[in-house]
Order: sequence, then C-alpha cells, then structure tokens
Amino acid sequence: MFRLGIDLGSSYTKGVLVDENDRMAAFHVVKTGYDFKKSSGKVISHFAEHHEIEYPVYSCGYGREQVGVSFVPNSELIALAKAVYEVYGRSCSIIDIGGQDTKFIKVNANGQVDKFKMNRKCAAGTGSFLEEIAFRLDVTPEEFTEFASEATQEVKINSYCTVFAISEIVGMIKDGATLPNIIIGIYQSIILRSVELSLVEDTLVITGGIPAMHPTIVDLFKQRYPDADSPEHAQYLAAYGCVLLNNKHQKEV
Amino acid sequence: MSEKGTPDKTELVKLKSAGDLRNTMDAYFSRLKEAAETRKRKIAWCTSVGPAELLYSMGFEVYFPENHGAMLGAGKNADKYIPTAVAHGYSPDICSYLTSDIGAFLQNETPLQKSGFASVPKPDILVFNTNQCREVEDWFNFYARHFNVPVVGIHTPLSITELTPEIVKSVEDQYHRIIPELGKVADRKFDMDRFREAVGLSHDGCVLWKEVLQKAKNIPSPINFFDSAIHMGPIVVMRGTQHAIDYYKILLKELEERVETNISAVPKEKFRIYWEGMPLWYKLSSMAKLFAKLDTCIVASTYCNSWVFDDLDPADPFGSSALAYSKLFIVRSDTVKEQVLQQLFEDFSVQGIIYHESKTCTRNSNNLFGMQHRLNKQTGIPYLEINGDLNDPRCFSEEQSIIAIETFVDQLAGRT
Repeated sequence: MFRLGIDLGSSYTKGVLVDENDRMAAFHVVKTGYDFKKSSGKVISHFAEHHEIEYPVYSCGYGREQVGVSFVPNSELIALAKAVYEVYGRSCSIIDIGGQDTKFIKVNANGQVDKFKMNRKCAAGTGSFLEEIAFRLDVTPEEFTEFASEATQEVKINSYCTVFAISEIVGMIKDGATLPNIIIGIYQSIILRSVELSLVEDTLVITGGIPAMHPTIVDLFKQRYPDADSPEHAQYLAAYGCVLLNNKHQKEV
Repeated sequence: MSEKGTPDKTELVKLKSAGDLRNTMDAYFSRLKEAAETRKRKIAWCTSVGPAELLYSMGFEVYFPENHGAMLGAGKNADKYIPTAVAHGYSPDICSYLTSDIGAFLQNETPLQKSGFASVPKPDILVFNTNQCREVEDWFNFYARHFNVPVVGIHTPLSITELTPEIVKSVEDQYHRIIPELGKVADRKFDMDRFREAVGLSHDGCVLWKEVLQKAKNIPSPINFFDSAIHMGPIVVMRGTQHAIDYYKILLKELEERVETNISAVPKEKFRIYWEGMPLWYKLSSMAKLFAKLDTCIVASTYCNSWVFDDLDPADPFGSSALAYSKLFIVRSDTVKEQVLQQLFEDFSVQGIIYHESKTCTRNSNNLFGMQHRLNKQTGIPYLEINGDLNDPRCFSEEQSIIAIETFVDQLAGRT
C-alpha cells in the first residue's frame, strides 16, 4: 500500500507515492489545465495502474479541495516545509518558485514554519513571467537552458511587469543583445524578485517547478548563496509533505 | 483539517443588535434625505475624523463621503466606478474611496438611491481635517468646485511623536478660524453651549464604543473585527449626537450578555489575531467566514480600535477636540504607533498579526517602513502580510490570500 500526496498547482498537478518507510517511491506530473478533478484523476489513474493506493489521498495547492476521491487538504507551505525538513533535518530558508507564486519560508531548527511570505499580486518572479516571455520569444524551457549556457554577459531586465519586461526585451533585441545574454537577464530578474521576499540567513533550499525545469536558475542562486541547494524531486516536495503531515505513526509519538 | 464530507460547524453567530444598527443608520440617512429635499437644514460634508461635533452643534446635517466610499466597497461596486475617476485624471494608485466615490458621482449613481435619494445630498459647505491623509482635501476640493460651495479645513501635522502644546494650539486655532465661514453658511451664530453639549455627547459615544471594543478582551471574544467594522457606523457618522450613544448602549448590553452566557463571535475560537490596516470591504463577509472556519477570531484592529476620542471634554471643547483629533493613531509617528500596538496586542491576548498592505492607502498600511519586523523582534508575535486594497478588488488576489491566511493559522497551531 502506498499513500499518495497530490499538489494541485495553478500550472501543474504533481503526485508522489510514499512507501511504508516514508520514502518517495514514484512521481507523476500532468498539466493542471482548467479542471482540477480531471488533472488529479489523471495522476491517481496513472499510479493506480501499478500500485495499490491507500485512501484518503493528501492534497495541497490551489485545487486542494477539488479532488475526485476522498482527500485531506493541507497548506502547501506547511507541507513543503515539512518535506524540506525531512530531507535536510535542520533550519533553512526555502525559496519555492512555482507557476503562479513564489514563496519564501523560514523553517526553524524544530522543523516549524517561523515565517513565510508570498509574492505580491503579479507575475514578477514567478513561472508565469517565464512562460509568457518564452512564448513571446518562441523558445522552449529546454532551449532556455541551452541558450543560457552560451551567455557571455548578463543584460539587466528592470521591469516588474511582464508586459513591460517584454517591451524591454524587444528593445534589447533591437539594440543587438544576444538571446543567451537576455535569458540570463530574465533568470536573474526572477532571482531578484524572489530574494527580496525576505532575508536569507541560513541554508537556502530552492524548490518548485521552475528551478526543476530551468536548472540554470539553481546555478545562479548558488553564485549568490554558495551553500544553496536544490534537492532531488524538488517539484514534488509539497505533495510529499502532505503525506508526511498526516503520518499516523508520527502523530502517535 | 477535516475530511471531505465532514465539515465542521463553524457558522458565525450574528449580533441581534444588527436590526437596531440598521434602524439607527436608516434614521440618520432619513434626516439627511429630508435636509437634501426640503433644504430646511444645511448640509455639511465632513471627513471621517473631521470636526463633526462643531458641525452638529451649528445645526448642520452631516454627510461623510468616506462612509459613502465604504458603502461602495461593501456593495462590491467600487471597480465599476474607479475607471471613470481615472479617466478624469485621478490616479488608480490614490485612495480608492476617493476614486470610487468621485467615479460614482460622475456616473450619477449612489447606493443611497435605493433609499430614495436622487443623488448624494448636495453640500452647502465641505469641511476636512488632513489628520487622515492629504487626499481628503483634494477629494473635497473636487466637490467644492463642482457645487461651487465653500470648503474649509484643518491641516494637522503628520507623524507626530510628541504631541506638544504648540501642535494642539495650532489645531485649536484652526478650529476657531473656520467658524465664521460655517456661521455664514449655517446662517446662525456659533453657540458655545451647544458645542460643549456636542463634544460631551461625542465623548460619551466614544467611551461606549471603546467599551464595546474592549469586550473582545474576553476569551472567547463576543465580537470580531468584521462585526466592529460594520457596527462602527454610528460612531463615524453620528459622533456628537445622542443617536450614537443610544445605539452603543444596546450593542454593549448584548455583548455583556454574550460574555455572561459564553457566546463567542467565532464559535470555536482557538486563535486570536490583530488586523492592521484597512478592511477589504468587498470581501468582508467571505473573510469573516474564512476566519470562522479556521477557528480564528480577529479580536482587535487599528481601523476600529483607533476610533476612540475619549480625550474630548466639554469643559474645554476646542482644546480637547484639537488634542483628541491630533492624538489619533494615523497621525502619529511609528514610534508612538508601535507603543500603541504593543499595548493592544497585550490587552487583547493577540497571538498573531495580519498586516493588510492596502495598495491605495499607504497611510493606513503600517508594514511599509519595517514596523512589522521591529514589532516581531520586540514581541515575538508572528505576523503575515497580505496585499490588497480597501475598495479596489483588482488589487487583491483572493486565492493567494486564502492560502496565506490558512498557512498562517497552521503556523500558529504549530507554535501552541
């Protein structure tokens, strides 16, 4: 029997199976689209093909109440903090960059959330910013990474606003800036928007779908914070944390 | 946390006094309507912490555009009107009470039309005090130009740390200075005894309102912020009259009964939160339900708890008015505000603080200059910042804020 954690985010629905030893055993991600029940259903069906799932499932994210089977909803930030503490076992600062939100979470030495902050009400510093720019530049995430490796210098993107940032980029292209240098500028813009959420005073752990899809962002974070780390399966940690938060064994202790 | 299909019973318990509140407010608007229609009494427009006592003492019916702004917000109509004001050159980044109120006026719409008003009651004079913010002067100037009526005001210094006799004297002098114009419009002489009486009534109303708010010190609290934001109507618009006193006696009695019979505003109060900043008028009801579902009571707020002017003294009506309206939280420096807030956190057994950063009301957003960090260091009380606006729903991400609020309550739960 496996327990299932599902993180129903604005862009992607992430599922993780957790075994009896509280280890992540299998992963699946689908686009969320317009129907949370449909996307969570796809994740559940995928796992149910080869594994026996224990119900209820444990959910978090924007669609946490929109699961078609018996479920227990959780706060995605608390779940993420739980999972990160499970992995690192010490106090740390988490920056999670997702499709619609960027979050800062300070986890204390006991694994509790000391404080957290979410991005302001716009796309700056989130995956939506990157998606929109990629669409306008007609570049895929994989190509972003390839281009970024060819950068010779960083160009600076100033605008908070996605639309204005695109105008700014168009101007840069007109002035002869190269795509690799622009892409590094875009990545740095996301990093700057996320580190202004709060002070990073201890180990920085980078999670979320955007660093998973754009590993160059993690490298750039490491230039700023040398001991920064992005754990394996960083995109699935909130889903994993949902299961851990509801761990019966732990509750009995 | 609850499994699907087994929701907790967390419905809010409504205050029985709500009917009396409605009657009190209806009667106030009837008096205004009659004055607007018959022109038998003059109408003064006043800012929410302007010299209402002086105006009532001189026989004016008093109309408060800020109250109208809140009505537009609570009616979820502000975003219908703001674009019109913006098109007339008012920035969407300034006070959304102002932009929604002026926008509605330009569209010739007001929620008062439901009560039979043809439009907002035409002013004979406009009277402001800048203790709230500078916007009120620009706001009133718009209407003074439109109606071609006089506008007079009191300019209070901002960010006051030490409320010196010189500051109080300067405000007191300005009170005196506006009287001749008020007398001309009212067509009556200033009467010191009537002013003393109005100041005395205002004081008594404020003391009752304070007692109402202080009932929330009780654990569990019989009243929450969402109730107070609505039930503060009479102290805003009828300060200086017997009507406010009569209403708060009724409300206070109900709250005393609630405390005696252990009825709480939030049925299963587990957490007690302080709300710093303006209400989200267009989400008042859904926010009230959200916090109730989370077994969390917002027990005190800057918005409601700073509306107490108990320094008013009929023995010295001018001096005490100047003192009371310059002592107001919003007009004080961060040093003073932090002391006031710390005391409130202690008095109301606050476990967490929510700072609402209101996009168009920086004067009522106290997390803009690091206060949240300083108070957290001094008190250890955790805090959450949410972005929104008092009236403009376009500045508020509800889903994101719900996630943040739920997480904050989970965070508080983890600390107990």
